[in-house]
Amino acid sequence: MTFDSIEIRAVLLFLVAVAAPVAWAQNERPVTQEHVVGEQAYPFDTVDPREEDKPPIELPDSVASKLELLTPEQIEFLKSDDARAFTGPAEEAVEALEERSPEEVKTWVEAMQQVVEQRRYTEGRDLPNIPFNTESPDFNAWRLLRPRSMDPEREAGPVALGRYSEGGGPPTFGGFPLALSKEDLVAGEVDVAILGAPLNMGSGWRDSGERATVDLRLHGQAMGGEDQYVQINASEVMTVVDYGDVAVDNDSTERSMRHVREIVREIAETGAVPMIVGGDHSLEYPNVAALADVYGKEMVSVIHFDSHYDAWWGGTHLINHGYPVYRLINEGHIRAADYIQVGLRSSGPDKAGFNWMREQGMRYHTMAEIERRGWDAVLDRVVAEASEEGRKLHISFDIDVLDPAFTVATGTPVPGGLTMREAIAIVRRLCAESNVVGFDLVELHPALDPTYRTTLNSVHIIKACLTGLAMNKEELTEEHYLSPLSSEHAIDDYYGDQQQHLDATKAEEEKEEEKKEE
Amino acid sequence: MIFRRFLTHGALLTICSALLLLSVESALGQWSIPDELQAQASVLNDEQIEFITSGAIIKYIPERQLEHELATRDANSMRSLIDDLMSLADKMGYDPERDMGAAPLNLTSKSFNAAMPTLVPLRDFERESGPFSVHRYLFPKTGIPTFGGADVAIWPEDLVAGNVDVAIVGVPSNSSSGRRDARNGPNQMRGLNTIAMTDVQSLLKPFETLSVVDYGDFGVDRLSTERTVIHVAAMVAETAGTGAIPMLVGGDTSMLYPGVSGVARVHGNGSFGLLHFSAHPDVERNGDHTNSDRQALFLLLDEGIVEGSETIQVGLRGPAVDADTLEWLRDKGVRYHTMAEFRQRGSETVMQRVLQEVDRGPVAYFVSIDVSVVNPTEMVAAGRATYNGLRIEEVTQAIRHACAVKEIVGFEITDMAPMLDYSRLSVMHANAVLNACLVGIAVRKAGLDPDYVHPLALDHGQR
Repeated sequence: MTFDSIEIRAVLLFLVAVAAPVAWAQNERPVTQEHVVGEQAYPFDTVDPREEDKPPIELPDSVASKLELLTPEQIEFLKSDDARAFTGPAEEAVEALEERSPEEVKTWVEAMQQVVEQRRYTEGRDLPNIPFNTESPDFNAWRLLRPRSMDPEREAGPVALGRYSEGGGPPTFGGFPLALSKEDLVAGEVDVAILGAPLNMGSGWRDSGERATVDLRLHGQAMGGEDQYVQINASEVMTVVDYGDVAVDNDSTERSMRHVREIVREIAETGAVPMIVGGDHSLEYPNVAALADVYGKEMVSVIHFDSHYDAWWGGTHLINHGYPVYRLINEGHIRAADYIQVGLRSSGPDKAGFNWMREQGMRYHTMAEIERRGWDAVLDRVVAEASEEGRKLHISFDIDVLDPAFTVATGTPVPGGLTMREAIAIVRRLCAESNVVGFDLVELHPALDPTYRTTLNSVHIIKACLTGLAMNKEELTEEHYLSPLSSEHAIDDYYGDQQQHLDATKAEEEKEEEKKEE
Repeated sequence: MIFRRFLTHGALLTICSALLLLSVESALGQWSIPDELQAQASVLNDEQIEFITSGAIIKYIPERQLEHELATRDANSMRSLIDDLMSLADKMGYDPERDMGAAPLNLTSKSFNAAMPTLVPLRDFERESGPFSVHRYLFPKTGIPTFGGADVAIWPEDLVAGNVDVAIVGVPSNSSSGRRDARNGPNQMRGLNTIAMTDVQSLLKPFETLSVVDYGDFGVDRLSTERTVIHVAAMVAETAGTGAIPMLVGGDTSMLYPGVSGVARVHGNGSFGLLHFSAHPDVERNGDHTNSDRQALFLLLDEGIVEGSETIQVGLRGPAVDADTLEWLRDKGVRYHTMAEFRQRGSETVMQRVLQEVDRGPVAYFVSIDVSVVNPTEMVAAGRATYNGLRIEEVTQAIRHACAVKEIVGFEITDMAPMLDYSRLSVMHANAVLNACLVGIAVRKAGLDPDYVHPLALDHGQR
């Protein structure tokens, strides 16, 4: 028997084909579907159901003579949805046909077909992916972790960088101590880890990188202060740390996603609330996917504060700051019905987008709703929705939900947004009254605001959530709690509920006394 | 049988490549353990010693620090440090089973190739080919902003029909390793009408000597430099193919590569010199991407698009200028001029040297400037601003001369990020640079001496 026989060759080929995956599978490294390795294609469906072709148009007999040089396929194409991008709606298409000779119609249609074909991916002609330089000996330098053994030994746990009890030293978020690893979080029983994420690729203005995470540290002292509304100081109630910045590759958002997800997951696995701040809104994707890794698929709800709905899809790329919501749903991390949207007002989505949200059960609260119902009504509705069934909640706060008067330094500002007074209240309430397991604040582009106003306002949104989380820890989870002492002087009975405030104040004081005695 | 053979084969390959890697690493540089630290090093095993003495370790820990650790750590702590560093070295390179080697794309997208010029039968209206005015008035003061108020051309046919000498075109890419707003560079430069005025030295009006158009913008993919490069290089080649000189307005410096390589497609690789002003050498050799601003000049030299010996770099300083880089440039034959040379020998002397090198260089040049070359006092809106640079006047005079003395095949200005300068002074200076080359080209076309000064401009002539 020789190997020349075709059958034998076929058998050999088959065996190699079978053996190869077995050999790959023996590798210990887990290769989940979530992470593209090597030059794999994106493993999930990419067809957007909202982009379904509209039915073909009818062409009247009056233009039949104009079509005589077209092939049946070309006539089919001219009637199809693809041609509408060039001809406009049916009436305009007919008009355009009437103006042209059959020869002109033929060149016209051929050009359309050529464009439609050339715009789509064609194997062999277009790159199916964006190759990196895999020959680089420093391929992973950007995300290598510094071994703990390189620095002098220290106990695990958060490290204060200041010399004095008041702090000082290199600036950290809110002046909080620094933690760099999971061991630090566990040893310190950390409640909240604030992670800088300098992603600078997917946004309109690109200054959400290092400048954003650094400025939030330089101007972030207020994050950890006393909150007058509820008379709570988050830093006294909780252990909050600055978890440093996560490494990103600002030449490829796609490549950055997995590492961000790993670091956010690392935080969530310890039970701490990850607060991811700074970069562009592409981050919502790895942030929420990481929470789904820890708490289970379809087990987390998301409330998305934004002037944009960020569920766009269908471009060449699979992630940018307009795609995270769609991608999370597409990959099965979150159900669309577990999404709440607040503050939408950008030029899109169109009717198809809204219909899709409605059909999917996504609860959207546009500025149009706020214009109709008033803020207070919408506030209560949103908080009630977010607290349903005690579900775990991630808050994704794009600062462009705020009016540009407050946050001019954002990637894609849209006027007519929330005021700081509204935003502080809703964020504090959500973090207090719902089961918040994650939070991000994104799209800060400091270069656009020489006054620091945008950064300072962003800091106060973060503070509102920290305060809320502290209230939650202290079990101050009643609907819209405010301090009976700070919210009412109670020197007279102006509102008719003077005694209520006096009693409540007294009750709180007694409770504190009891606590002290314990 | 076959299964086992497959595995064995795989294992053999791994060993071979590991050996290869080891030999490469030792070739990179060795590090001998100082005599007084030999005793401390003796607690390490052979593999650990090899990692140190091969010099591979120096990539992860500076020599000074390594000596300190060897001198002060106990055996266990030293072993675990070296193990940790060795495990880092294992993770440094690409592993196709662990790392993403290429970012996947949406292959079902209906607009996968978004930047696609409109085909002739689909254009909205018919007009004769040729540049056209966007103004209502014969002597317009304001209106639609174009580069220098120039007429507009949209298609290559317009350039041919108008016998256009210079096509100024925006390339609003927005990547860059520094601050990012270069996408707004082209429009901001259009918005400040400070080019093509009467040149005070020659008293030439560039638009009277040259046919100049605003050739619009080239399409970019803001999420991928690599994809942008493919399209822009093709468009630059198409433009140069009409005989017009492409003057490209970036965009970040990753667009230097498609600018120069697009021109080279028409004129030929190695057929022209490159005069490049920048603080940054942009010759990253081991980058993990296939294209970026950091790699722009490396790729041009590496692929032989321009010859090292015909490349002049002016104004180097800043974080990427280290001994390795300068040595690499020197080996390539590049004539580089760092700010150290400028400080040491004086600006005038060095600029004269630069211009002499240009004079003696090839017949044709591509002139490019990353605005970082200018001192931030005059160009605060540089995406990768670096202190202690050249004065704007030094730069414009040199560019003016080069553009007047040589045949210019292309010009490019990159990495001005307007948002960083509320005064827009940087925009004015960016225009000054573009204008300097435009005037130079006009001087040459007018047949004047490159450094000609009009007597009226030089002296009032009064007694």
